[in-house]
Amino acid sequence: MRWAALALIAALLAILPWVGDDVMIQYGINALLVATLAQAWNIIGGFTGYASFGNSVFYGLGTYGTAIAMVQFGLPFGVGLALGGALGMLCALLLGLPILRLRGHYFAIATLGLSATMAAIVANLDIAGRNIGLILPLTRNDAMFYEASLALLAATTLTVIWLALSRFGMGLIAIREDEDAAAVMGVNTTFYKVVALVLSSFFTAVAGGIHAYWITFIDPASAFDLTLNVRMVIMAVFGGPGTVFGPLIGSFILSSVYDWLASSISTAAALLFGLVIVIAVVFMPRGLIDLGAGLRRVGWRYLLQNIRLHRI
Amino acid sequence: MLLAQILTNGLLLGGLYGLMALGMALIWGVLNIVNLAHGALIMLGGYAVYFMFTAAGIDPFAALPVAMLVMFAFGYALQRFLLNLIVRSAPLNTLLITFGLDVVLTYLAQLAFSADFRAINPSYAGANVTVLGITIPLARLAAFAVALVLAAALWLLLERTRLGRAIRATAQNLVAARLYGVDPRQLYAVTFGIGAALAGAAGGLYGVVSQLTPYVGTNLTVKSFVIAIMGGLENPFGILAGGLVIGVAEALAALYLGPTFTDAISFGLLVVILVARPVRSLKGA
Repeated sequence: MRWAALALIAALLAILPWVGDDVMIQYGINALLVATLAQAWNIIGGFTGYASFGNSVFYGLGTYGTAIAMVQFGLPFGVGLALGGALGMLCALLLGLPILRLRGHYFAIATLGLSATMAAIVANLDIAGRNIGLILPLTRNDAMFYEASLALLAATTLTVIWLALSRFGMGLIAIREDEDAAAVMGVNTTFYKVVALVLSSFFTAVAGGIHAYWITFIDPASAFDLTLNVRMVIMAVFGGPGTVFGPLIGSFILSSVYDWLASSISTAAALLFGLVIVIAVVFMPRGLIDLGAGLRRVGWRYLLQNIRLHRI
Repeated sequence: MLLAQILTNGLLLGGLYGLMALGMALIWGVLNIVNLAHGALIMLGGYAVYFMFTAAGIDPFAALPVAMLVMFAFGYALQRFLLNLIVRSAPLNTLLITFGLDVVLTYLAQLAFSADFRAINPSYAGANVTVLGITIPLARLAAFAVALVLAAALWLLLERTRLGRAIRATAQNLVAARLYGVDPRQLYAVTFGIGAALAGAAGGLYGVVSQLTPYVGTNLTVKSFVIAIMGGLENPFGILAGGLVIGVAEALAALYLGPTFTDAISFGLLVVILVARPVRSLKGA
């Protein structure tokens, strides 16, 4: 029943390019890619409990991997995407081993440092077009980009569903709840964490590759944009980190709100976005999914209960 | 001679970096909040001094204490009426809410002050002294001196006063401090206020040696963060030293590797230090 509902939603989303107009399709591509990023972040941040601010590194590497393959070596888009994804995974593997030893704020900040460092390195590479960036071949096929983004989001979500149901996913949750206890229970924490980061990096990098080809122009500042990483975190946390559908719901709601605000009151959009975050953290610190459950359980008192629980 | 000049520039700027990080380290160490809005507080302090200087003609260094008072009140209220509500929530939530605040403050500043570059330019802004062939801009030297004085003042406050003892006790063990009669709500608000006041002072000085826009905050937040980690959250002078290291490292990187590498250097250093640090000090993160 649940699977049928999921398949129906996916099918409905898939026919949009044939029924919607250009603006809708472009909004759709953006929303799907951002949802993919939030869902991919959910693997390492939500399930494993490691707040990664390095996902924008994987995104940037996917962007540049795809672009370099297509521009400098004339390879087709599919191959470029695979190379971009591989580059992201390689980076996650190499950096994950030392950095995943750090916990809490320290992990968050070490990953934060990576994205700034990587942007500076890429800005000094000839093959990556240095500071100027790269221009990809132009394609006007938004329907293809839409379907590719949808397929990627579906694959990411299926992976997260697998995590929610599998022993491996249980291991990640155990690490999030108490890493030392998980290790005592026989979870190979290093292996689990690195695999989680590599999975997260793959989907993030491929999303970057799709976005690069769609937008046809990339430069270090936009490819390694830290605010993109912050958006992934906010959307996942707003929806409900560590749940299957929270990041999806959170990202669709927030990107709609943001786009709507940006089109109606452009200057104040970011301001209201910030306010939404502040209010959401105060009243629903565990996300929309938990808000739904809480409202059913205790009604509107849930909102005040959160404050009572977390204030000093 | 070029090297000596570059080192001097790096040291002078590094002192200011250290001052920026003081407030962040204090708030982080005592409240366990990594305040991503710290750079926005620095920016607000800068604008406070800017407007006192341009509108009332008050010398920026005389305006600093006023800006610090204003920022103390602002920080106190922020912690008392907002952040105290969520302070025991998951660490990610404190990161998120301060990020949200950063966005709100940045865009309020943009609406109120416009996105123009502003510099605080007192008559002595261009004055230099030359010592042994090294040119020292007076304004930067004064900013460095203020940073030193404020670090010393913070050290005295923490080590020699009753309030300081309460702050340190709370940082070590909230429950025990409470049993000894510390009101954590009040103390958290006061501590955040002190952190905001230090940020405000750093902002005023930053406006004198550099330029203000509503967007300077993010970069300064990250820099403060790096320095707070290097300095170790506890000793104000350690943090000041961390600022000097970053200032010099950036100046050298700009000289030998090119200016695009300045940020990469501080972050690269940060990652190396974090990974190489003994695990012991990561407890309670």
